Amino acid sequence: MLTYPDVVQWAVPFFIAAILIELTWILVKHRGGRYETRDAVTSLIMGAGNVASGILLGFIVWGFFMFLWALTPLDLGTSVWVVALCFVLDDLRYYWVHRFGHRIRWVWASHVNHHSSQHYNLTTALRQTWTGTFTFMMIVRAPLILVGFHPAMVLFCGGLNLIYQFWIHTEAIKRMPRWFEAVMNTPSHHRVHHGRNARYLDANYAGVFIIWDKMFGTFVPELDAEKPDYGLVQNLGTFNPIRVAFHEWVGIFRDMTQRGLTLRQRLMYAVAPPGWSHDGSRDTSETIKAKHLRRDPEDAGTPGFQ
Amino acid sequence: MPIELLLILVVVGIAGIAGLTWLAGLAKPRELDEQDARSEWARHYPDDQIASVWITHDQHAALVITEQGPGLLWVMGADTVARHLLDFDIMDEPHGLSVLFHDYTAPKVHLHLDEDERLVWQNLIYPQGPIC
Repeated sequence: MLTYPDVVQWAVPFFIAAILIELTWILVKHRGGRYETRDAVTSLIMGAGNVASGILLGFIVWGFFMFLWALTPLDLGTSVWVVALCFVLDDLRYYWVHRFGHRIRWVWASHVNHHSSQHYNLTTALRQTWTGTFTFMMIVRAPLILVGFHPAMVLFCGGLNLIYQFWIHTEAIKRMPRWFEAVMNTPSHHRVHHGRNARYLDANYAGVFIIWDKMFGTFVPELDAEKPDYGLVQNLGTFNPIRVAFHEWVGIFRDMTQRGLTLRQRLMYAVAPPGWSHDGSRDTSETIKAKHLRRDPEDAGTPGFQ
Repeated sequence: MPIELLLILVVVGIAGIAGLTWLAGLAKPRELDEQDARSEWARHYPDDQIASVWITHDQHAALVITEQGPGLLWVMGADTVARHLLDFDIMDEPHGLSVLFHDYTAPKVHLHLDEDERLVWQNLIYPQGPIC
């Protein structure tokens, strides 16, 4: 049986050390980000819960992948080049899962907690989902396994992808060298992704390589004139990790079980973009952008409003 | 990694970071003034036209009267959260009032009010309504 180390678990000491370094930097320099005790603790508990849910529910994903592996006659082997190709293709897979995570409410219900902090620091990176298994997004990885990448390798590459994304959750780094910003996801690009500003909604879904956003038309650069305002369009009024983890699932349940809806409307509350409502009483990212342009028409045609 | 080691790392890591931020004074809640409350409300609800703002004496919450209706802005750590006062109850507490939103994402806000401001706030928030 092919095995790789569980790199996310092994990275935990590095995560803690890096958070301590960032926090010390902010305290000493009085710039480069913000920390708040309860916000940081909530993020860290969400991270611990994510690891725990992986340990408890990981067998579902593993069982599904091994089922696919048993079906496929293809095996690309385990050479370094195959691992590198797997990493790149898995990052493409990440881009689309992440995009679905912002455009399909059922998947957003799992991902929303990662955006629920009004802070942006290295603890925010660890504010991860507890309910990813229930989105069924493991299906998007099926083609990788069916074309011959071993499930253990695919999960190993996914772990490396997550570790890469840890360091980009910081305000302590303004910009990386130009060549790096052109190809790789960076703190600047990812700050945009966490912005609740109308300009920055639904942008920069990349994991490791920002080229996917440039290819698929979702790239928005960070503007010096408009600092990202972190958090959700409607921010949470609680630090309770249970509410952080499950609030959107509760919202879906309540919306779907309202009286007087058609079957299609009930389904749309689960699969339409976040903010969709049967009576148009709520805002989606499209209506938020449109309202912004009504207030500030001079922004039309600028990044994020093209 | 052995699960016992992972557990120790996680528990010590969370406790250590929490302790360090607390010692550095990063658990102190934000304090609002009127200008701050106005700009924070505009951040949460950019389409609203603000008519007036009432700040609690402890500066941890503000009642914001807008042309779209009244709303509550309150401090959450270093940041703020806001909701329109649409679907809620209020409850008398020994040191103020609690606003119970029927909202899973913001269930309860405690307003620490002095005796002289309690009645004013009660009337502003819920002029004809019952108190639990």
